[in-house]
Amino acid sequence: MELQDRLEELQAQGLGAAAISFDSEAVLAEFSERRGITFPLLSDVGSKVITEFGILNTVAIEALEKIGPGRRDPTPGRPTQDEIDARTSLDPAFEEDIGKYVTVGAAIDFHVGTPFPGTFMLDRTGRVTSRFFEEFYRERNTTANIMLKLGAGLAPIAAVEGSTAHLKFTAYPSDPYVTLGSRFSVAVAVEPNPDIHVYAPGAETMGYRVVSLNLRPVPHVRFEPVKFPESEIYYFEPLDERVPAYQRPFTLLQEVIVDATNEAEEALSQREALTLSGTFDYQACDDELCYEPVSLPVSFTLDLRLLERARYRDLRRARERAEANR
Amino acid sequence: MTALGIAVAVMVFGVGLDEVQSRTPIDVASLGPQVGERVPAFSLPDQNGQIQTLESILGPNGAILVFHRSASW
Repeated sequence: MELQDRLEELQAQGLGAAAISFDSEAVLAEFSERRGITFPLLSDVGSKVITEFGILNTVAIEALEKIGPGRRDPTPGRPTQDEIDARTSLDPAFEEDIGKYVTVGAAIDFHVGTPFPGTFMLDRTGRVTSRFFEEFYRERNTTANIMLKLGAGLAPIAAVEGSTAHLKFTAYPSDPYVTLGSRFSVAVAVEPNPDIHVYAPGAETMGYRVVSLNLRPVPHVRFEPVKFPESEIYYFEPLDERVPAYQRPFTLLQEVIVDATNEAEEALSQREALTLSGTFDYQACDDELCYEPVSLPVSFTLDLRLLERARYRDLRRARERAEANR
Repeated sequence: MTALGIAVAVMVFGVGLDEVQSRTPIDVASLGPQVGERVPAFSLPDQNGQIQTLESILGPNGAILVFHRSASW
């Protein structure tokens, strides 16, 4: 769990951390031992708290009701042929929901009692300040991405730093490693030099080039539109123009999602790293002059960690072999 | 509109209605406590057998509370 890697930074910001699942204390003890987890993993056997929160995965329950109980395959996690048949004869819209919220290919009964996965940020009185829930169960925000989106400072890792005649910039990924379904960010922190401004969205209609991060397409990786912070209006007297611009330090955020479809898993299974490359582009002007647009190459390499999935697959195969030999 | 056109329109409309009736779309963003709301109190054992509550996990500035599917898969 990558939350562990950010624990010190969270604590430094006065934030506590806990995770809740329907696992037994024994399962959680084994997990935290294996993964070196030091924050509380809470055991909600019976899913009472998950239900009280109102985020119990109702699709899993509905699916089990429709498909019927007693279809558990001897191999954990694997659906029986009966279940596969029952699933394929369901209303297509319902089958789509199962794939989105419950499981793509595993047995349904495994998932009854799980929540729709997500994260709440709470203030010190326990009120929700922000929340992050995804529409596809395999996708989720990394802790660092949540922190970044909330504007909390993070220590930049694997940063690309540079300075030009007009500005200084630091570009960095929110996380050093990602996995299938990770929703993370690439941030570009920009500090314009004194008297320099660069252009914000809206300035393109006046013929200026808006500052941007342009990452090249990567198979099985999705890019959200770049998020721009609020800009100010720069008044350019000679032309009597009012242009959206940045004069003070600002940060661009580019959210990135590693696809978690079966195809993506297959395609990425042999890869150990994910490289994102592109350019940081801007046009800078001062009170008198506008300079030529600048395009600077940037590249980030993140570890791709599919270990947990590989471990699960190995476990499943070992059990299958044991079954076959019985 | 030709007779065929009407027939197609009826069919498309029919299918659409059917799907609307059979499934209400799930909107995970609308489930559970919303921004500004206080989350329910809880009391649960952690991996070391210690009882934790909402109060015990909150830091001076709040907390991050993650709901995940399972640690055993």
